[in-house]
Amino acid sequence: MAIANLNQFLHDYFSFHHCEIIENNDGVLRVQLTEEMDRALMNRPFYWHYVKKMGNKGEPMKLTLITNPNKREEEKGEWIHFGSPRLHQLINHLKENEKYTKLFQKINVTHNTALYPWLVVNIKVSYKGKYKKDEVISIGLHLVNGKMRLEMMDHLKEIPLQSTISDYCYTISPLIKLQSGYLRIEKVISNYIENQEHTWAEESLHALNEELNTLRHFYHADDNEEQMNKEIEEIKERYQPVISFEVINGGIFYLAES
Amino acid sequence: MHSIQLKKDSTFIQNLESVIEKEGSFSNWELFSAAYEAELTTITPTFKGLRALEYLPHVEFLDHQISAAEQAIESMHGRAILADEVGLGKTIEAGLILKEYMVRGLVKNALILVPASLVSQWVRELNEKFYIPAVAHRKNYNWNQNVIISSLDTAKRPPHRENILEIEYDFILIDEAHKLKNHKTKNYEFVRALKKKYCLLLTATPVQNRLIEIFNLISILKPGHLGNYDSFLENYGKDRKNIKQDAYLKQLIQKVMIRNTRQNTELNNTKRNIETVWVEFTEEERSAYQSLETATGPFSSFSKITYLRELCSSREACYLSLKKVMDENKQEKILQPIVDQIGQLPHHAKAQRVVELMKKIGDEKVIIFTEYRASQLYLQWILQQHGIKSVPFRGGFKRSKKDWMKQLFENHVQVLIATEAGGEGINLQFCSHLINYDLPWNPMRLEQRIGRIHRYGQNKDVHIYNFAIRDTIEEHIMTLLYEKINLFEQVIGNLDAILAELNIGSMETELETIYAESTSVGEVKIKLDNLTSIIRHSLTNNEEENYGYS
Repeated sequence: MAIANLNQFLHDYFSFHHCEIIENNDGVLRVQLTEEMDRALMNRPFYWHYVKKMGNKGEPMKLTLITNPNKREEEKGEWIHFGSPRLHQLINHLKENEKYTKLFQKINVTHNTALYPWLVVNIKVSYKGKYKKDEVISIGLHLVNGKMRLEMMDHLKEIPLQSTISDYCYTISPLIKLQSGYLRIEKVISNYIENQEHTWAEESLHALNEELNTLRHFYHADDNEEQMNKEIEEIKERYQPVISFEVINGGIFYLAES
Repeated sequence: MHSIQLKKDSTFIQNLESVIEKEGSFSNWELFSAAYEAELTTITPTFKGLRALEYLPHVEFLDHQISAAEQAIESMHGRAILADEVGLGKTIEAGLILKEYMVRGLVKNALILVPASLVSQWVRELNEKFYIPAVAHRKNYNWNQNVIISSLDTAKRPPHRENILEIEYDFILIDEAHKLKNHKTKNYEFVRALKKKYCLLLTATPVQNRLIEIFNLISILKPGHLGNYDSFLENYGKDRKNIKQDAYLKQLIQKVMIRNTRQNTELNNTKRNIETVWVEFTEEERSAYQSLETATGPFSSFSKITYLRELCSSREACYLSLKKVMDENKQEKILQPIVDQIGQLPHHAKAQRVVELMKKIGDEKVIIFTEYRASQLYLQWILQQHGIKSVPFRGGFKRSKKDWMKQLFENHVQVLIATEAGGEGINLQFCSHLINYDLPWNPMRLEQRIGRIHRYGQNKDVHIYNFAIRDTIEEHIMTLLYEKINLFEQVIGNLDAILAELNIGSMETELETIYAESTSVGEVKIKLDNLTSIIRHSLTNNEEENYGYS
């Protein structure tokens, strides 16, 4: 699920970061930042440096974030839309800070219950040639029996999760080590990629060769080899098909057997 | 599959292990899944289309700008000449292209080379319109910033040159790229040497004189696309008309160049209403004009033309010039009566006509262009007398002062009086009335003046008022030159090229020569007539070469 409702996203983002929501009405959100969030977002290190030096508490700022475009005129605040710098700052802040997790399923039980370890990895796969596109894959691997599950995040959304283990619960130790578990996941993705049709890559290679031929046409037998090699590199850089994976985030999830 | 490179993420799992080992800080579920959602929001799920448009809801793009950006990315793969006519928004197209590449993560660092006078405008446009964090290059800055803007002149000089040539840029943009038309220049050699992935060249005049210019521009983007230097000269020669004649060449050029003209864009919707405002001198003014016309003083006939033009503009402009001549030649006696005569003139017929026109226009914004600073001051004063507020604008103002004047004009005062359009610089789309208080003798300057208001972003019809005084030098220029070649009605983007072809370096000098070397008004008329007919002839022969757009 991508962000559909910006106001909701902002509201959640700040409340999860323990900022007080002063007002949230018709697409206008007012929040009181905490010191931590002020330091992370407001880019005023000198203020905090001096305030602390003077032994003062400091006053974190308030933000007014407008997601309803009709309110832009009447309210004073920042207009937040999918391209606004503030939103991208928050998004980058999330991507940088929320990479690793360890979570437990929350259950109410009165007898001893085992929780099984899952390695969950969310991966962005980028295909880049003449053009570029991305795909996100979410995979879970049962670290005891090796069972694998796709669209893991959608599955996890249905399960109550928390950072501490519930009463009467205990965890089973993984049989599969993290490293080798990760390699299994990587293998699955590699297979998935190999089984695709890569017309985009063929087209890119075709364009690559075409441009290289054109380039050779430009230079006489041996003049200016250095310049020509530079240009050959540039063409390769522009067209060479590359597929890359990058882990967005991941971690260990201890879940009960259903 | 074997020819596709595969890059894996080798760090994640180790980091996860060490966080677990150290019992480090873990994300809670809410933030963990918010980060995942954030990633889903920022990926680009399809190869084609402009993702950047969703990021820029506050910009109203025109259709031709969007399709230019698509074309540059999708069929030209990021190396293109953007050659729209002046005022159609090349900057907007370039910004959109850069934004798209940044959104897709294909461009991390970019170098933008523009004329020095435009650096801050580019910084502002990219930041405000496109949220691209571009910075102007300053002394001791590192050239490896994300998006850096500088002038070509700074960049090509040591020590910058060496630093820049070390860096591999993902994106390079060069504005006013016609400066690169000659492959033997330092500029050209420098730009060829830059390491770049994507590259945009912006110019309104891709071919000014010779066909080889387009060859040189294209060789920066796609060497070999038009063959090599020798084979190109051999096949196509030097004549730029060959673009029109050779369909294959035209097709090749279209693969790397996008050219929108006013005619093929919706900008055509806003019309130009042209009105010539004829003014009669008063008796006193006429007699002063005639005395000056017949005087023979210690000045060349060229200078006299200038004084006459000044007198057609304001008493002050002419008075100051004559005064200066007298100060330099103390014994000079002939001029004294003329200067006295001018000094006693109560007003200037043209300025009073401006006031009348202003009353007719009502409270809409008006920009007035004059050639002379003295007239500028005088106009400001006389408008003030009639309760009309104005601000001055000169090419020599500092950037910040220009911006300030523009702000005042936009928000507080009705009139801006400018002495210079400045081929580049201020855009005043919020204003739709323009008074040419006196006409420049260089038709390109006229187009630049009109281009300040009749451009991308203008949503009203534009009104142009051209002032001229009967039975003076202004009448000749108006009727024999401007009206004949229809200059006001249409943009003649390639007039420059035509003049060059006719071997006319500067229209202004050409006109001055005609006046200075003629012994009678009749002779002037005949010569002007000859000049206009040859220009018209070339224009019809040379109608907008519609190379470059499909």
